[in-house]
Amino acid sequence: MDEEPERAKRWEGGYERTWEVLKEDEFGSLKATVEEILFQSKRKRAQESHGQVRLGMMRHLYVVIDSSRSMEDQDLRPSRLTTTLKLIEAFVVEYFDQNPISQVGIITTKNKRAEKLTDLAGNPRKHIATLKKAADSTCIGEPSLYNSLNLAMQTLKHMPGHTSREILIIFSSLTTCDPANIYELVKTLKELKIRVSVIGLSAEVRVCTVLTRETGGTYHVILDESHFKELLMFHVKPPPASASSECSLIRMGFPQHMIASLCDQDAKPSFSMSHLENSSDPGLSLGGYFCPQCHAKYTELPVECKVCGLTLVSAPHLARSFHHLFPLEPFMESPVEEHQGERFCQACQGELKDKCVFTCPSCSSVFCTECDLFIHNSLHCCPSCIHSQTPR
Amino acid sequence: MKLNIEGLLVYFPYDYIYPEQYSYMLELKRTLDAKGHGVLEMPSGTGKTISLLSLIVAYQKVYPLEVTKLIYCSRTVPELEKVVEELRKLLKFYSKQTGEANNFLALALSSRKNLCIHPEVSSLRFGKEVDAKSHSLTASYVRARHRIDPSVPVCPFYEEFDAIGRQVPLPAGIYNLDDLKEFGRRKGWCPYYLARHSILHANIVVYSYHYLLDPKIADLVSKELAKKSVVVFDEAHNIDNVCIDSMSVNITRRTLDRCQSNVDTLHNAIQKIKETDAAKLKEEYRRLVEGLKEANVARETDVYMSNPVLPDEILHEAIPGSIRTAEHFVGFMKRFLEYLKSRLRVHHVVQESSPHFLKDIFDKVCIDCKPLRFCAERLRSLLRTLEIADIADFSAITLISNFATLVSTYSQGFTIIIEPFEDRTPTIANPVLHFSCMDPSIAIKPVFERFQSVIITSGTLSPLDIYPRILDFRPVTVASFTMTLARTCLCPLIVGRGNDQVALSSKFETREDFAVIRNYGNLLLDMSAIVPDGIVAFFTSYVYMENIVASWYEQGILENIQRNKLIFIETPDAAETSMALEKYQEACENGRGAILLSVARGKVSEGIDFVHHFGRAVIMFGVPYVYTQSRILKARLEYLRERFQIRENDFLTFDAMRHAAQCVGRVIRGKTDYGLMIFADKRYARADKRGKLPRWIQEHISDGSLNLTVDETVQLSKHFLRQMAQPFRQEDQLGLSLLTLEQLESEEMLQKIAQMAHQS
Repeated sequence: MDEEPERAKRWEGGYERTWEVLKEDEFGSLKATVEEILFQSKRKRAQESHGQVRLGMMRHLYVVIDSSRSMEDQDLRPSRLTTTLKLIEAFVVEYFDQNPISQVGIITTKNKRAEKLTDLAGNPRKHIATLKKAADSTCIGEPSLYNSLNLAMQTLKHMPGHTSREILIIFSSLTTCDPANIYELVKTLKELKIRVSVIGLSAEVRVCTVLTRETGGTYHVILDESHFKELLMFHVKPPPASASSECSLIRMGFPQHMIASLCDQDAKPSFSMSHLENSSDPGLSLGGYFCPQCHAKYTELPVECKVCGLTLVSAPHLARSFHHLFPLEPFMESPVEEHQGERFCQACQGELKDKCVFTCPSCSSVFCTECDLFIHNSLHCCPSCIHSQTPR
Repeated sequence: MKLNIEGLLVYFPYDYIYPEQYSYMLELKRTLDAKGHGVLEMPSGTGKTISLLSLIVAYQKVYPLEVTKLIYCSRTVPELEKVVEELRKLLKFYSKQTGEANNFLALALSSRKNLCIHPEVSSLRFGKEVDAKSHSLTASYVRARHRIDPSVPVCPFYEEFDAIGRQVPLPAGIYNLDDLKEFGRRKGWCPYYLARHSILHANIVVYSYHYLLDPKIADLVSKELAKKSVVVFDEAHNIDNVCIDSMSVNITRRTLDRCQSNVDTLHNAIQKIKETDAAKLKEEYRRLVEGLKEANVARETDVYMSNPVLPDEILHEAIPGSIRTAEHFVGFMKRFLEYLKSRLRVHHVVQESSPHFLKDIFDKVCIDCKPLRFCAERLRSLLRTLEIADIADFSAITLISNFATLVSTYSQGFTIIIEPFEDRTPTIANPVLHFSCMDPSIAIKPVFERFQSVIITSGTLSPLDIYPRILDFRPVTVASFTMTLARTCLCPLIVGRGNDQVALSSKFETREDFAVIRNYGNLLLDMSAIVPDGIVAFFTSYVYMENIVASWYEQGILENIQRNKLIFIETPDAAETSMALEKYQEACENGRGAILLSVARGKVSEGIDFVHHFGRAVIMFGVPYVYTQSRILKARLEYLRERFQIRENDFLTFDAMRHAAQCVGRVIRGKTDYGLMIFADKRYARADKRGKLPRWIQEHISDGSLNLTVDETVQLSKHFLRQMAQPFRQEDQLGLSLLTLEQLESEEMLQKIAQMAHQS
């Protein structure tokens, strides 16, 4: 399989009219517009950061995946279902990477029913395994928004008030088959402060518009696979917390990883608490993280202690979610003609070829478009600022 | 915001304005300046009503002597209410800006059914019942009798109004129907008569077409309206049909039977009154000898608008001797009735002109043309004399007498067709005499002649030049405005072929073709899978729809569609249809999705809007030509060709296209709305059809979307729907299709607007 499966083969693509996008420039050449289009797609940056607002850092998110008949549609290659599951996998990984103290659960809906694939849990591995398995399932019948929302709500409503309760629906069908009036449910969701967001795979459906508007979520419809990915990644960032949500201090444990040396005679292999449930992995191990409160053993972090319910994280995890609170300021964009001085990007040392250059407002270093994207999306700090801060 | 429209200060109650609204007001102002008539087309959802109102109100404020009154005619009660609400907003803005209290009187007028507050009468269900009951409580002789014998019931509200209300003018303000009722209740006055009385001095009157166009009602309600009025016909794309309907008469055997019993009742009443009160009949006789002088004087002094049923000539004459006495008149009517009965006893279709009919009637029963002409007037006088309260019972004889007057008055523009049976059921005898008007200009002529400016406006008036021709008037402005859009929110596609390359068409030869029906089914099936929420599909006629749906059922297409969406069907029955509509909207609202199968020219295609999710796509199956085999239509076509030099084909295409445009226009009700318009017939691709669509639809049909297959349509639609689902905010529109005052006044924009108007 190709490394980049997003670019479908031409003959597999939809009926397009590529010529309509093209316009001639004043010299009658097409080159300028093509470059413009490429540049625009590169420049399509992630949403503006929220600035200094309270964020719901501790998230409980249910992802609802529509598995109805319409997921078999092949406008995403090879099918909507496969693409979605693959992207959700990536999403789950990215989600835990950016929100280490949050949890995710997965629900699918098909044949007028909703089914919980995984419960809310803070560990990506189980989710990914389930998602892989789900790829072979068949898509039949119609989805039911009501049932899936209801199922998610049953769990989410017991979550503590300081957490951000969210539902993300990947909705492919254009209809929903509901056992009762969905607007009553929307009202309940609103009262429970559960935020519902929807990503539509085909077109704008009224009921989703109302649902998201009422509960304060977002509603987007994908254009193609890359747009789909972009929209999903948008949900990785923690949403602003609603003003009315409670504030509270949370007890957390920061267990140290203990490695019992083999020479230590006292060391005995022991079971990890998380292995009690799934016996697929070899359960016995020597080292691990020990809950500071009850000394239960875990092999992986972050996790919620099965015994005393303490949230166990490692310090780097917490630090990683920090950048959401203090986002890197956007760089100033200016046309390349106006830029005086060096013609090289500070980061990659490449020549500045694009139309625009980006200047860091604090250290006034200059970056090219690619590096700007990389800095804001992945690094979250300006390399030359860091460089100047480090003592020589 | 305050606008300067060529020197006229116009208050506009919103912070933003669409460029086409400005352009529209410009054209409107020029029309008013020239004191002429205008034909203006602007797409629905671009704020036509508010542009009209704000400009004309401003004009009235600045030149109170030039334009004294605005008469705004619309079609349905909800539309009237909408206009009044816009007006309320506008005048509130006025008083806020100028700080003066509002001195405008604006009111809506509707039938007694919508305005009556009498506890017993208003509980009746049908308009006719309410009218009859109300009349029996308020007629002058009933009230006279009441004065002698207080046990005779009268309407207390009317009494109160008559005693006090006539002297006290309605205080300035904006009154919709509910406000009028509320006011009436508080004062104890009858709101209906109060409104009818008040329209004489009101600055703005909002009412239905029929109050101006239907001669029977116009005579009662609108004849005293001032000459210096501006008349606006909104949603006027069907105005010619309204005119024709108001002048046409259909007589069946049932009508004649009821008329017969009317005549008998009259006869008895005359006998009775002769014994008790002979003086009354004599008094009537004397009055008739003097003739209709009063009416004549009134018309000459230009107090009244002329009534086309009451032709000019008869005003100069006295009622002819042969029908002057009551008995003679009843005898005359009997004879006339017998004649009509004999005419209905035909076995083949007869078509003749009015002069021919008159000659025949003279030969057979010796009825002269002249007394016929006075029939309507004579009957009215008789009913008044006989003090018959329940007018509703006499609708049959009124109809016949109107027919008599019309047939003897107009030698041109009418035709008489007698059909022994309906075309579809040739075995069942059901004779009908159609006296059909072919010339809409007859009914509307008095309106054009009397009023200073008449504005005809709608979302779909293309091709614009045909309206002045068939209505026989000379407009000073003719303009069509397009919708300036920040994003292309409408997507007209012409589907000409199925996936198997079979040409799609509803034309007569291929109508029964299995392949065409199947491909139509596939189109709907594929669309139902990709269009969210509501789809509205229009067929050319009920019969055609029944055939196709039955065929789809057999082929199993219907079942497949139902897996995607629910299906609702419009029927000729109004109650059933409104039930279907309600359920359809519910299904769209809660995400189930639905398809509404309906018929062009039906109720759904005319009055119901499918905003946003209620109509994401509209599919027009076939070209909605009228039933061309109808004799009435044939006669009308012939007349149009002879009189106005409009070729049959031109008129038929024009008529079909305006209905098609009307149907597809149902889905776009504003700039934030979006919808697919699918024309499923290859004939739409032809220039003569396409060119007759409104400009705002036409300019979005690209050459590439003229002859698509079902597959291509699905792909394009999918793409369109995804594009449209992307977030769209007001800021995106600003400066392009939505302007602030500063943006509007910029040199560049004014130039652009001037150009826009110039193009049209």
